[in-house]
Amino acid sequence: MLPLEALPLRQPSSAVAARGRILACDPAAVVAGVEPGHRLSTALGLQPGLRVCERDPAREAKALENLACWAGRFTPTLALAPPDALLLEIGGCLRLFGGAPAIVDAVLAGCAGQAYSVDWAVAPTPLGARWLARTGAGIMADTPARLHAALAALPCAAPSWPDEIVVRLESFGLRCLGDLARLPAAGLRRRIGNGPVDDLLRARGELPDPQRAFVFPASFAAGLELPSRVEHAEALAFAGQRLCAALAGWLHARQLLARACTLHLTHDDGTHSAVNLRLGEPGADEGRFLRLLREHLSHLRLAAPVEALRLTADEVVARPGASASLFDRPAAGEGAAACLERLRARLGENAVHTLGLRADYRPECATSGHDPLADLPEKSPSTATFAAPRPLWLLREPQALAEQAGRPCWHGPLQFVTRSERLESGWWDEGEAEAAGDLRRDYCVARNRYGQWAWIFRDARGWFLHGLFA
Amino acid sequence: MSSAPAPVALAEILARGDVWRGDALAGLSEAAIPSGHPELDAELPGGGWPRGNLTEFLVDRNGLGEMSLLLPALARLSGDGGWLALVAPPWQPHAPAWAAAGLAPERLVVVRAGRQVAWCLEQLLASGGFAGVLAWPEAGINARSLRRLQVAAEGRPVFAGLWRSTAAAVAPSPAPLRIALSAGADGLSVCILKRRGRPASQPLALEVARPGRNKRVVAGPVFSVVAAGSAAPAPAV
Repeated sequence: MLPLEALPLRQPSSAVAARGRILACDPAAVVAGVEPGHRLSTALGLQPGLRVCERDPAREAKALENLACWAGRFTPTLALAPPDALLLEIGGCLRLFGGAPAIVDAVLAGCAGQAYSVDWAVAPTPLGARWLARTGAGIMADTPARLHAALAALPCAAPSWPDEIVVRLESFGLRCLGDLARLPAAGLRRRIGNGPVDDLLRARGELPDPQRAFVFPASFAAGLELPSRVEHAEALAFAGQRLCAALAGWLHARQLLARACTLHLTHDDGTHSAVNLRLGEPGADEGRFLRLLREHLSHLRLAAPVEALRLTADEVVARPGASASLFDRPAAGEGAAACLERLRARLGENAVHTLGLRADYRPECATSGHDPLADLPEKSPSTATFAAPRPLWLLREPQALAEQAGRPCWHGPLQFVTRSERLESGWWDEGEAEAAGDLRRDYCVARNRYGQWAWIFRDARGWFLHGLFA
Repeated sequence: MSSAPAPVALAEILARGDVWRGDALAGLSEAAIPSGHPELDAELPGGGWPRGNLTEFLVDRNGLGEMSLLLPALARLSGDGGWLALVAPPWQPHAPAWAAAGLAPERLVVVRAGRQVAWCLEQLLASGGFAGVLAWPEAGINARSLRRLQVAAEGRPVFAGLWRSTAAAVAPSPAPLRIALSAGADGLSVCILKRRGRPASQPLALEVARPGRNKRVVAGPVFSVVAAGSAAPAPAV
């Protein structure tokens, strides 16, 4: 199905044709009676509304490469088998995943998540696995004996040998590969040539069959053309899933963590725009990329409909090694950094910050906001300790207080608790925009009859409430 | 024939956090955070502020010492390296005071949540990365949101405090611990409205940290003229 699934602009009842014959078709077309191998005219006769696309080998190769990147999460050793197969060497990672069935389940679930349909087989030899996978039966032949038995039952047409060889074999009365294997090899070579016989031996594991390992690209960039023009940013998240999956697999295979990546959008009027995803803590988790992407997309306004996406990994760091724990631990949640980066994605960069101390006597200036995800500085120098008490809360703007019989009032007259503390500072930024300026204030703690403790000050303009001793 | 259920000892059931005898306080599955006030710890199930449960603080007037009541526990959490979060506080935190109370400012996150307090709070509680989360939800937070928050907090080692007005006391809430705070004659009056266990009989009067010399009221400060250059210098009181 790869020729079909690699194409953008898919709608129900479509098919891919090459040289006048149907190569692959979707379930809607199968229901109508269209089958691979039909002539184009036959197929159109069976299903008049069938959308037929020309095969696009370049797109197929690209899709296969993206899938290979994604499969890097399962095994570092994999090989492309063009045009439509991927070979994963899973013998070395059975323990990690808990057996071959578990890996198969994970691979199938991942492919389904990216809307790829898969035929699979597990076998000790690469060629054997490819032949068995083509049957679509999902055969798990994990020992040579089972492989031989499974291969023996395959029809002679399964290996996609040239047609004349298949016809000749049938004329001999050989229907399945088991019949072939029973014949003396030397005679068979004379009749059908060396190629098919060697193939059979390779599939049975009697000849070596080295594979060229897939080399994961040094930098990640994966593109995707959208099935239709997308006008709403939220709808891009679904399409971004394949790209995020490929990125996560590539990171796993290269033992890297991404700190920042960019989603490039190509609009249908030829312009480009980009969405920067910045992770608080480098990660390689597909789910985290997706959640972050959704948050960013949810408040993105598209200037024009989007027709293609490209995801690049801009900043990557080497993954530090970590030991798996021996005992199962309860799920601990995603942790503080991942949560904060999501909050920031939704609320804005400035809405989430940690506190910092600044050496300034003016109360407005003593607190600074820091990026919570930035690398912490080496223990910021502690500011001078204040002899007088400081309140936990400050009002955004000092609130003018009424005065009654010479006393400030806040829900009734205030009683002074401490003597006044003179703060006189800030001549250097007097008159600058956004600066607190030169302050001359006498602060003191006061209490009203409801038991509320306030930090009030008096300056040339009168009494003001500035803080609460909560 | 149905098989008889396996016998379970009564003591085992009572050891669970959500089952308790009517005349005693429930235990907690997670270790509680000592509040720093022994008389209050004696009244709280588990002997301190609970983790993994919502705690509601109902208070009408601010500046009574309501935050000072929590500071010993927050300082303990911060001292252990935990992250603390303040969600939508109605005022601006003044870092020197928080630092002086023993909290690490670089691990104290302030979230300006706008109208998404409940969403932020749920994310923070469910993340499991925070040791303490305090939030000032808008007045209209409904029981459904509160239930979601309680579910998000369950099983996480997080102290979750919600500040609400005493008007909410009559409405039911899924929070297992609800405390009304008011100014007492001398200190803070703490009334436990709801807890897992027998109802509290009377409010507790607690002494919390207050600025200045607590007992003495200064008769009136003597001010000098502050800004000599400006017009109408204020006379001393």
